[in-house]
Amino acid sequence: MWDAFITLMINALLFIYNLIGQNFGWAIIIFTVLVRVVTYPLTAKQMKSSKAMQDLQGSKEWNDMQTKYKNDKEGLAQKQMEIYKEKGISPFGSCLPLLVQFPIIIGLYQAIIRTLAVTPIQLVNLSKHINDGANLIPINSQFWWMELSEPERLPILGVAVPVLAILVLISSYIQTKMVTPTGGAGDNAQGAQMTQAMTLYMPFFMGYLAMTFASGLALYFIATNLATIAQYVITGQANFKNILPKLPNFGQQGK
Amino acid sequence: MIKNKKNLFIIILAVVALTLGACSGRRVVATGWSGITVNEETVYFSYGPHAYALNLKNGAQQWQFPAEPINGVDFYAAPVLADKNSQLLVAGYDSVLYSVNPANGSENWSFGAAENRYVAPPLATEEGIFAANSDNSLYALDFDGLLQWEFATEDPLWASPIWSENCGCIYQASMDHYLYAINPENGKLIWKSEDLGGPIVNNPSISEDGLIVLATFNNEIIAIDEESHQVEWRFQTSDWAWATPVIDGDQVYASDISGTFYTLDLQSGETLWQLQPGGGIYSSPLVQGGMIYFSTDTSSLVAVSQEGVVQRNQPIEGKLYASPVGAGDKVLLAPSESEYFLLALRESGVQVWGYPQPE
Repeated sequence: MWDAFITLMINALLFIYNLIGQNFGWAIIIFTVLVRVVTYPLTAKQMKSSKAMQDLQGSKEWNDMQTKYKNDKEGLAQKQMEIYKEKGISPFGSCLPLLVQFPIIIGLYQAIIRTLAVTPIQLVNLSKHINDGANLIPINSQFWWMELSEPERLPILGVAVPVLAILVLISSYIQTKMVTPTGGAGDNAQGAQMTQAMTLYMPFFMGYLAMTFASGLALYFIATNLATIAQYVITGQANFKNILPKLPNFGQQGK
Repeated sequence: MIKNKKNLFIIILAVVALTLGACSGRRVVATGWSGITVNEETVYFSYGPHAYALNLKNGAQQWQFPAEPINGVDFYAAPVLADKNSQLLVAGYDSVLYSVNPANGSENWSFGAAENRYVAPPLATEEGIFAANSDNSLYALDFDGLLQWEFATEDPLWASPIWSENCGCIYQASMDHYLYAINPENGKLIWKSEDLGGPIVNNPSISEDGLIVLATFNNEIIAIDEESHQVEWRFQTSDWAWATPVIDGDQVYASDISGTFYTLDLQSGETLWQLQPGGGIYSSPLVQGGMIYFSTDTSSLVAVSQEGVVQRNQPIEGKLYASPVGAGDKVLLAPSESEYFLLALRESGVQVWGYPQPE
């Protein structure tokens, strides 16, 4: 089942690669964007659920409930479930679509790595996945200054700079910040702290992966980050205020 | 709720990291299969971080190169003896060609001007060393490891260069679909074949009367006349033809990755017999003691008579991508994903010794 899924992805990737003049870098970008478009209904559902949850958690009713059941965790949980039911919000509504997308992300990554096939064993494995593509072998894995099957470094003034990893870090930061709801009054301190920690660590984690693994993966990260940002911007759900770090408001302090 | 979602997210993140890690192994996966060379009482082979020298009689290790594994350095191409057996050439995935002392594995010199993996074993002649690299180039070196010339093709070179007595030249097959005849003294192109229709990942064979036979990913076995440079015949296989065809008298033994083994007439390219024992075939057959031995990736060593009758279909632990190699009355196998790096069998199939994977 998984193998058939990967085979489908590899052949789609190769189809695009051939269609656009055998440029694997662009094939990755186009394929990533197409996958984002195809999975958009899931993303939209996830965004809608997140928004509903965000609105609920910023509401007076929610805050009052939290204050009322401050010392009664069981009561709080029961009341929360009641409110979810009443408002027609599924607590997992924003997680399930994400989970469905998860195998697609992993599959896409595996398809990219398997298609690049730069060693005999990798080519043997690829040969078991492709229907008709002997004339596309070897895959042209050069894209601008990058060798897509290797971790990327661009020599600048004698220093090997991981440009893609930096771009992944920046785009992951913007994407994470942009899609993270602004902390509502109802957010508990622990939740807010975790959100903050995640928006800080996640881009570094992605940047580390981009710096360490094949640059084809880094290219995919950048394409998927930009596609996500574009989706949020187009649907008017992008949270631009979150991107810049919050500075202390000196004007207000003086009043 | 927030806490639950964040925990879920962290779990997903960890799974992503593990999954990507599993896909890529250590940074970038670099894997191949073992190449074997036999000289009198010693077997040389490469697999993973080392090239090894073993005693042919009992499989005891004599040395390994390098003594300790080096991060990013892997070897899969068969080591090659050069300069009247005074050097052993070990070509690495780290884009370096090493010359080591065959007696003790100490390094003589290294050549590091190539830019990619050495998948193919180098060729050593009386004139010098010729090493094909995945950076698309063939490098000619003297026996001190000094570059003499470089010949560039359009795509990676996974096939070994071969020497032809008939034309006094070197043939280099490339993944760019062409076969090149090159002057070994100066690296100049003598002639180039027509577009052969598909990538070529293994070296051709040459018959005594000057017929070059090679396999392509365009599902073909092709014979080219050395003198006229013209294609004499083409034989259609059912899938990619990966392994070097072997010429034995008037017959050619060839295969494809769907697992069909073909015996063709050398002069006409017509099928004499064919069989499909199961599993893909990626390696060349061994002709020894009146039998043909070939291996499949479903872990079988198949022994066939020259009339095409299967004598034995012996299961071997691991995957058999590497060609079986003859050593006197023994057949050497280098299985991948196996408990053993190297196995020595009698022609009857009985195991003589096995060189286990180090702990």
